[in-house]
Amino acid sequence: MKMCFNLTLIGLSFLVVGCESSEVPSDPGQGYAATESEYLVDSEPADAMPVGEARESIADGEDVTLVGLIGGSSDPFVDGLAAFTIVDPKVRYCAADEGCTTPWDYCCTQDQVKDNIATVKVVDEAGQPVVHGARELLGVKELSTVVVKGKAQRDDQGNLTVSANQVFVRPGK
Amino acid sequence: MLLPWEYGVRNLARRPLRTALTLVALATVVMLVFVVVGFIRGLEQSLSVSGDESVVLVYSVNSEENIENSSIPAQTPSLLSASLNSAVKRFGVMHVSPELYLGTRVKTEQGAGGLGLVRGVTLSAPLVRRSVKLVEGTWPGDGQVIIGRLVAAKIGGSDEAVMVGKQIQFEGKEWEISGRFAAEGAAYESEIWCKLDDFQSTTMRQDLSLVAMLLSPGSSAAEVQLFCKERNDLELRAIQETDYYASLQQHYKPVRLLAWFVVLLVSAAGVFAGLNMMYGAVAGRNREIATLQAIGYRRRAILVSLIQEGVLLASAGSLLSGTIALTMLNGVAVRFTMGAFTLRIDSVAILIGCGVGLLLGVVGALPPALKALRMEVATSLKAV
Repeated sequence: MKMCFNLTLIGLSFLVVGCESSEVPSDPGQGYAATESEYLVDSEPADAMPVGEARESIADGEDVTLVGLIGGSSDPFVDGLAAFTIVDPKVRYCAADEGCTTPWDYCCTQDQVKDNIATVKVVDEAGQPVVHGARELLGVKELSTVVVKGKAQRDDQGNLTVSANQVFVRPGK
Repeated sequence: MLLPWEYGVRNLARRPLRTALTLVALATVVMLVFVVVGFIRGLEQSLSVSGDESVVLVYSVNSEENIENSSIPAQTPSLLSASLNSAVKRFGVMHVSPELYLGTRVKTEQGAGGLGLVRGVTLSAPLVRRSVKLVEGTWPGDGQVIIGRLVAAKIGGSDEAVMVGKQIQFEGKEWEISGRFAAEGAAYESEIWCKLDDFQSTTMRQDLSLVAMLLSPGSSAAEVQLFCKERNDLELRAIQETDYYASLQQHYKPVRLLAWFVVLLVSAAGVFAGLNMMYGAVAGRNREIATLQAIGYRRRAILVSLIQEGVLLASAGSLLSGTIALTMLNGVAVRFTMGAFTLRIDSVAILIGCGVGLLLGVVGALPPALKALRMEVATSLKAV
């Protein structure tokens, strides 16, 4: 009986050791403090322009400050790069009480999204996209309202991309 | 002092009919566990080997997770090749595979048929889908197809009906089978491949479902994803092929959970059946157990002997089932919504099946043996 008790104790000790959480983060992106990011700014850049208006007036190569909500598709972020799409704040998305699990895809207003969407890529000094997920780098998520400052890239199809070097995340969103 | 090993073994032979029935019951339970675990392992294996980390799939953003619903312009491959330097280029050939993929009703010459998966491909497909190997016949020409080794299971036909040289029918046209291919257990093995332009003219479609790109070393799927985000007008999305099949794994998570629950239920039912049998077996041996106690054997020694009998029977049942599972079940094709896969009796399945078998032997023998040992020796000696 005593032997059985001892064996049980040993078994339980193995179980406890085995169940302890690992201190090594499984995701290299984990633990990155968004507040440390050199691309985040503390104060909101002035004269931010909604995405829809920028698509109509901004030319290729111009400096631009855009405001928008992260979204436009079910997965607005690019995995492994600090890049995402933003949508003009005027475009409605599904309210919380409508039961939509992914309101950031703007499923009910997709026809308005195509003229009110822009791609933001956070770039380093060499102009290359930062190789780090935007969620961890900037502490943002879907439907976060961001103000980004950078250089506009336009193409013949009317697409707008901003190579941003400053990002402000509006609090509470 | 323990009872001799032979005592337990001979006891099994003393009641051959009861022993045989118990053995069959235990083997059946273990076999059920093998079938269900083999199903789960086969499904998991099929999805896990289907993706290639170096391949990125580009398809319509509107189709969400279902590539069959995707429709993208035919010029997408050339646009991607011209805009990105991410794909492998060897001897002047870009490793970019334009594909038209759909589910359609497929009939064999014998009239049997079901929903099959057809992929229209070009000669660049094998450059990107590196696991695909032509194991018989030739690459398809006009009006010809090559078929994966699990197509018969997928469409519900016989292997003879889909041999090289036979005809199959889909999309209102007769197709000759020119070859067969294998893909190391990947999902393509339940697909039918034909020439892209042939398939497009038959289905009267000029679009594509997807473009698969083999990324060059140093490139990443993120570059393609960023291109798709920047070119909003194209309404494309890009996903690493392994992520695509991982999302399918998530999709089938409820099925796998249900299957594991079935394993649990079958095991529990087996334990109760074993308990029932062992209660019957031990109840008839009260006098024998009391006699062993009377001549000086300790209760623990008798308990060990009874468990030994249970474990011996359960081990024999597990071995029997394991042999049948390995020789007859392993590799059997199963039709499923996403295609077909084979039952996989691998080391994990063997471990779980035999583990459940041994558990039946121990847990099934313990309660009745303990009950018999708790009885008074004098009372048990008088038992009929």
